[in-house]
Amino acid sequence: MSGHRLFAFFRRVAQEIRRDRRSVALLFVVPIVMTGLVTFIVREGETPVVNAAVVNDAGAAGIGATAVLDAALAEDGGSAEVVADEATARVALEDETVSLVIFLPAGLGTADPGTVTLLTDGLDPSGEATQVAAVQRAMLRAVGTLTGRPLPTIEHTTLYGVPSDDPMAPFAPAILAFLAYFFVYILTGISFLRERVGGTLERLMATPITRGEVVLGYTLGFGLFAALQVGLLLLWSLGTVEVPALGPLPAFSVGLGLANAGNPLLAYLVVVIAALGSVSLGIFVSTFARTELQVVQFIPIVIVPQFLLSGVLFPISSLPEILQPLVWLMPMTYAADGLRQVLIAGADLATPALQLDLLVLTGVALFFAGIAALTIRREVA
Amino acid sequence: MTVAPTPTGAAPAGAPAPAIRATGLVKVFGAIRAVDDVSFDLAPGRIYGLLGPNGSGKTTLIRLLTGMARPTAGRAEVLGTPMPSRPILARIGYMTQADGVYPTLTVGENARFFAAAYGVRDRASVLEALRLVNLDDRLDAVASTLSGGQRRRLSLACALVHRPPVLFLDEPTVGIDPLLRAEFWAHFRDLAAAGATIVVSSHVMDEADRCDELLFIRTGKVTARGSGDEIRARAGTASLEDAFLRLGGAVEATR
Repeated sequence: MSGHRLFAFFRRVAQEIRRDRRSVALLFVVPIVMTGLVTFIVREGETPVVNAAVVNDAGAAGIGATAVLDAALAEDGGSAEVVADEATARVALEDETVSLVIFLPAGLGTADPGTVTLLTDGLDPSGEATQVAAVQRAMLRAVGTLTGRPLPTIEHTTLYGVPSDDPMAPFAPAILAFLAYFFVYILTGISFLRERVGGTLERLMATPITRGEVVLGYTLGFGLFAALQVGLLLLWSLGTVEVPALGPLPAFSVGLGLANAGNPLLAYLVVVIAALGSVSLGIFVSTFARTELQVVQFIPIVIVPQFLLSGVLFPISSLPEILQPLVWLMPMTYAADGLRQVLIAGADLATPALQLDLLVLTGVALFFAGIAALTIRREVA
Repeated sequence: MTVAPTPTGAAPAGAPAPAIRATGLVKVFGAIRAVDDVSFDLAPGRIYGLLGPNGSGKTTLIRLLTGMARPTAGRAEVLGTPMPSRPILARIGYMTQADGVYPTLTVGENARFFAAAYGVRDRASVLEALRLVNLDDRLDAVASTLSGGQRRRLSLACALVHRPPVLFLDEPTVGIDPLLRAEFWAHFRDLAAAGATIVVSSHVMDEADRCDELLFIRTGKVTARGSGDEIRARAGTASLEDAFLRLGGAVEATR
């Protein structure tokens, strides 16, 4: 292995990608647009009807807030009504006569507003999340108009299960991992195919370069762009930059503002390792393709099953029993799980589940790198 | 020009060690014997022409000699080293039939990349190779914007960046105009004068006379070997084309 040759290889791959505007767009623009679109669909797709029971410990301020809230919710066909006590509210929630209970704290409207608690039953996480989001918006508006005082914190708890107030939260980690994996696969597969059919691979094999240097050089070259892509994607997904209103332009925020309970660098690590595995996968698959179209034709074989069977869209637990063993054969499963561990459960490097995910992803990347090196045919290794 | 018209076999005693030696080379693809018991010695500093129709086994023979393919039987040696051998590739230049350059990279980037692949570090030899093919003023031109002839020249430069003592050129002049073809041959002659052994495959007869020695290839066998004059004399024909037609079909003529 020669560092000089390896660096030359890395530089060449990077130069090639940089020259190809479509590839750059595919890497950097499309994932941003797609996450934005999916988030938009999931968050804004339906306007939920919220019928809330309010347990009021805030006295007059609470009654005023409830009235404003009721008016806001009524716009979408919902309502908010003060009930006698917590027990009544819980019964109503269990009977499904209300979909949500709001606890207004004693300090509402004062300098120390305390915490507003939202209670749902937890049986329909994504549906409830949109309700909670709707109440939160109405709530902040109501309290804001009413008092002009510091806003209360809003907390979501459920009767059963773990609460989530963002409908995007269950999907986001898997979708991030999937997009990085997918685009890196496409680009490497096609790029290496060109190397095979364009005669440059034959020519390279006539130099003293080793197959390991070729695979590693590709991994580094595409790895650089994957690293940039994942970094941008995570910034976009996790960050929120508020842009204040300016003249006729309303205030808006840039970034999807997805919840992140863990270390963003760990999330980054998970996706980058998954993407590196995707480089080798692309090289490997290019062996079986003669044209660019054929690389695309392999998507249903190598990418779609991963999409369906790794919990990207459908929770793994909801998959038919017969498909369950396949789940653990999909590298994407470990990428999605690793990212969930970090973003939702706040896992760190000491978490066994995350350790397993990282280990499997690294192993898969190394395995495919080895296989890819073997698919580069030459009599002299 | 004193060329021993030995069709096959070892070099005469006292001759310099051959740069390239084939001993009973055979390559079988399924039922086809693409290279069929080929033996020869090629001396350093000379230009050899592999002449034969399409599909006669020229490219397969070159792939065996460069170690790109492993022979079914027999042995190929370059500079005394049995092929395939990875280290010896640093001393072999190989210009493939396809241009084999990266279309999105510039002329300079392509040449520097292949130089690095051959383990060459100094930029001077890269520039020298590009100067040789008159592309040193197009360093920053992206390869895909070059004309066909320029791309072919770049391809040649990429095979020369490491100043190889042994050079295999697989149909280097296909699809280029007569002027550029003449330039190419002038380069080849210069390189041979500097000591390089050059093997050029071609099916264009008017190039044959530019080689020091010709090897006629037909259905995987060497059917004749010698300089253009010798071959014409032996075949009793006025043109190489006729000699090729006469000798090419008759393996017995050389036995």
